[in-house]
Amino acid sequence: MPSFKTPFQGYSVKFSPFHPNLLAVATAQNFGILGNGRLHVLSLSGGAGPAPITSPFSFDTADGIYDLAWSESHDSLLIAAVADGSLKLLDTSLPPTANPVRSLSEHSREASSLDFHPTRRDSFLSSSWDDSVKLWALDRPQSLRTFLEHSYCVYSVVWHPRHADVFASASGDRTVRIWDVRDPNSTQVVPAHDHEILTCDWNKYDECVFATGSVDRSIRVWDVRSHRAPLSVIEGHGYAVRKVKFSPHNARIIGSCSYDMSVCFWDYGKEDSCIGRYDHHTEFAVGIDMSVLVEGLVASTGWDGMVYAWQLGTDPRAPM
Amino acid sequence: MAMRDLVTGGAACAVPGSSGSANPLGALANALIGSSSKTQERLNEIPTAAIRTPENQFFPQPTDHLGALPGTEADQSLIRPNAPGSEFMRGFRSAEQGGLADVWDEIQGGVPIIPHDMRVGVDPRFPPPVDGPPQIMLSGLLHSFVDSSRGGMPFVPARLPMLGLSQGDKQCIRDRSTIMARHFFADKSEDFINTQVNALLQSLDIDGDVHAKSLAPGRFREMEDYWNESQGFMKHGPPVGDAWAAEFDQTRMNGPDAWAHSFEQQHGANGWASEFEQEHNQLATTMHQRGAVSPNLAAMEQSRMLAQTLAQNNDPKFQNSQFLRFLSKMSHGEVIFDDNRLKPAPGDWATEFQQQHNAGPSWADEYLHRGPDHWADEFSAEREKNAPLDDQWVNEFSQLHVDDWADEFGRKLAEGALGDETKDDWANAYDEFVNEQIAAKRQSDSSRGVYVFSDMNPYVGHPNPLKEGQELFRKGLLSEAILALEAEVIKNPENSEGWRLLGITHAENDDDQQAIAAMMKAQEADPTNLEVLLALGVSHTNELEQAAALRYLYGWLHHHPKYGVLASPAMPEVFYHTDVARLFQDASQMSPEDADVHIILGVLYNLSREYDRGMESFRRALELRPNDYSLWNKLGATQANSVQSADAILAYQKALDLKPNYVRAWANMGISYANQGMYEESISYYVRALAMNPKADSVWQYLRMSLSNASRHDMLEACDSRNLDILQKEFPL
Repeated sequence: MPSFKTPFQGYSVKFSPFHPNLLAVATAQNFGILGNGRLHVLSLSGGAGPAPITSPFSFDTADGIYDLAWSESHDSLLIAAVADGSLKLLDTSLPPTANPVRSLSEHSREASSLDFHPTRRDSFLSSSWDDSVKLWALDRPQSLRTFLEHSYCVYSVVWHPRHADVFASASGDRTVRIWDVRDPNSTQVVPAHDHEILTCDWNKYDECVFATGSVDRSIRVWDVRSHRAPLSVIEGHGYAVRKVKFSPHNARIIGSCSYDMSVCFWDYGKEDSCIGRYDHHTEFAVGIDMSVLVEGLVASTGWDGMVYAWQLGTDPRAPM
Repeated sequence: MAMRDLVTGGAACAVPGSSGSANPLGALANALIGSSSKTQERLNEIPTAAIRTPENQFFPQPTDHLGALPGTEADQSLIRPNAPGSEFMRGFRSAEQGGLADVWDEIQGGVPIIPHDMRVGVDPRFPPPVDGPPQIMLSGLLHSFVDSSRGGMPFVPARLPMLGLSQGDKQCIRDRSTIMARHFFADKSEDFINTQVNALLQSLDIDGDVHAKSLAPGRFREMEDYWNESQGFMKHGPPVGDAWAAEFDQTRMNGPDAWAHSFEQQHGANGWASEFEQEHNQLATTMHQRGAVSPNLAAMEQSRMLAQTLAQNNDPKFQNSQFLRFLSKMSHGEVIFDDNRLKPAPGDWATEFQQQHNAGPSWADEYLHRGPDHWADEFSAEREKNAPLDDQWVNEFSQLHVDDWADEFGRKLAEGALGDETKDDWANAYDEFVNEQIAAKRQSDSSRGVYVFSDMNPYVGHPNPLKEGQELFRKGLLSEAILALEAEVIKNPENSEGWRLLGITHAENDDDQQAIAAMMKAQEADPTNLEVLLALGVSHTNELEQAAALRYLYGWLHHHPKYGVLASPAMPEVFYHTDVARLFQDASQMSPEDADVHIILGVLYNLSREYDRGMESFRRALELRPNDYSLWNKLGATQANSVQSADAILAYQKALDLKPNYVRAWANMGISYANQGMYEESISYYVRALAMNPKADSVWQYLRMSLSNASRHDMLEACDSRNLDILQKEFPL
């Protein structure tokens, strides 16, 4: 199946919401500690062939890129979260010299994650190591609102898939907070782990359910209505869980990647929850995504610089 | 006009004469935003509706080589027909009997034409590091912890030489490594992590006592501010006056320590640590009393368990992790970063450091003293060295995806792993693929300087083929001229002029590989021919071979009767762009009336991507030689490179006015139109170029892309069968 080697270390990978054969990867030099960053847009052959992944577009930044998000409104628009705290808006149809279309510099620390609003398509969220979450609109040069409540780095922020005003943020302060953009304060604080929480994601089918991944190596599934105890605790990763992602096609499937270098898929409703384990990365696996347009198509990236896209159930590295 | 057209750079909105790009509105907005961020509010250049067609989705990035030729003619921009991957894709496509053809077209449509008519020294896809931190950097840290925790050994910090990390870099390393370390070492206690991080930071000469980001940042925010304040002035510009400089130096030397002292005075030694501990204990006790389990205590308990697991982790994957080894090495000072690339540390650094260290302030003086210049030299040297990396990467890539696939495919085929009904298709595709490989190999052979002669040559035996060739060239009958000139060089292989003209003719006729091969023959016959040296310099520029280009251009200067004095008598082993450019600037001052010098400067600026200066040089050369059509083409190419496709069209038009049979300029014209999204227009120009040289394979490819981008699928068959009659009737100019 297709793979692509980036010159730096992979940090995040996401499928285009418009084209089934496109994905983008955010990379950073020297493991993101110091050096440049590069964002690649990658083109697959269409999922059915042994074709290589090609990179029709790339963009370089002065600091590592920690995350990216595809615009939900326009297929050539991307945002990169740069470690210097800036957010770069990129238009892949413009020449390299014309990019970034816009650079938003408000975060005072590393920008860690981005999420485009799925329905209110001109707005997006960013989170940062400066403990804040910011709400942006494409046509505004300044953020619309800053959500300041976390007491440590915010590693992940995700819009609720159904309620247009709701989002969740996961932080190193060991909490997940649920927010309503109309309210400056969080509506709910979930102390989800006893260690830093690196990631969270909403279930796409059950509006009350979200999952968290933590440095404590576990994935926990929560119901916002009763957050005293998790619905489910998934243990199986050997190191910190870097990213969790609910399947867009199946209510019970969660994908995750970890510093134990593996990418795993889980059915959180089952006792023996692991339904797939992929050990294709040779360094920390830090990025995972599941295609909305092609069921079962997943992608991962890691600090080995590799980007893989494969159909669930097949070997990411297997030849045709 | 529909918004979508505006945004996507549809044909209707490209105003001739304006500066064009794939997205004119975006470019305009960008230009405005670039000059004043205040204008952002009023400009909404970001598309909010409509999905673009995939063809427009990507700005066409250069995928490949550009041919330009020597002495007189040059420059064009084309995707190499056998670019890595594309060969493969073609084979693959036919294998699917059109099943994937659509997908392919989509992809192909997305990647297509190079906007660059004169290629530059550095592949634009891999620009040099942007604003990177200073050359020498040492990151590192984290994973020495893993090793130390695994082996149960405390980490022993090693002192490293002064690395010239800026305060910002240090802060970055300190903060990021601390934060990341917490992720990796959840199993360890805070104290352990802090101790280890501090030990490591010390070895990097980074003040690690204060973590800008500790687990409870609120508590330390004041300290952080204080710290930033105390460090803040260091980020200011260079010292202005002497007095200030002295003060600066002093503060710089004492800065962090002074801060530490003052803090100590205020709070006593270990002040905050004990304070923290105390508070921490209080907190724990209180929580305990309330019956709650302290998260920290629980964490520590869990940590201990994890630590045991960790220590037992013999997973070979971890043992083999590059990252772990990298950091472990880093932490021991075995590797350092130089211009973002790893290199082994000099063996005697420890002694060196010791000496410098013992010498007290002297090293600081020395550092300040020789810092900037030295650094700049080193940096530019490193940059030069970096250039070939791109090629390397491309090679690697093509190997990975083309050859591997071929092998793999052959193997599978042998195993009969593929179903019967697909077997024939695949087999055909494979044959096609192999043939293409052979063709590609032939082509790459010729790029290595092997000239491939035409089979049937009616001019062999002609009494004076050189004269005939010159005549045909003048008339613009390029394909005929090539045959005549080939006859000449078969007859007189030592005739440098014959080879040179042959090379130029090939370039004008759009065949770069042959052009370079011929030029190299010409140079063999006459190593000091200035025109040939210039031609080779230009063509290597187009081939992205900066080192070779600089060598030939330097050779030109070296052998020039007038400027030879500027060059040092011995040929340097390594050429630096800045040095060569400076020599030619000197030459242009010596005789501002020499158009050749301006041309070479223009080429050099293309190499360093200083397009504005490149255009200026070519314009100056054009003032001296207004009727040199190849110069107009070069100017157009440079304009296209700097994304001024509309201006480039004017320059190409000028070249064509002067030489109507200039195939390369016709093709370049088409490319410039296509780059502005004016596909219909581009088609006519491609067809015109092909009418003059139907052998220009690359132009056929562009034509195909433009046809599908303009939704003229009805004409694709005529294109594939290379039926020029139909195409010319359909797309008259």
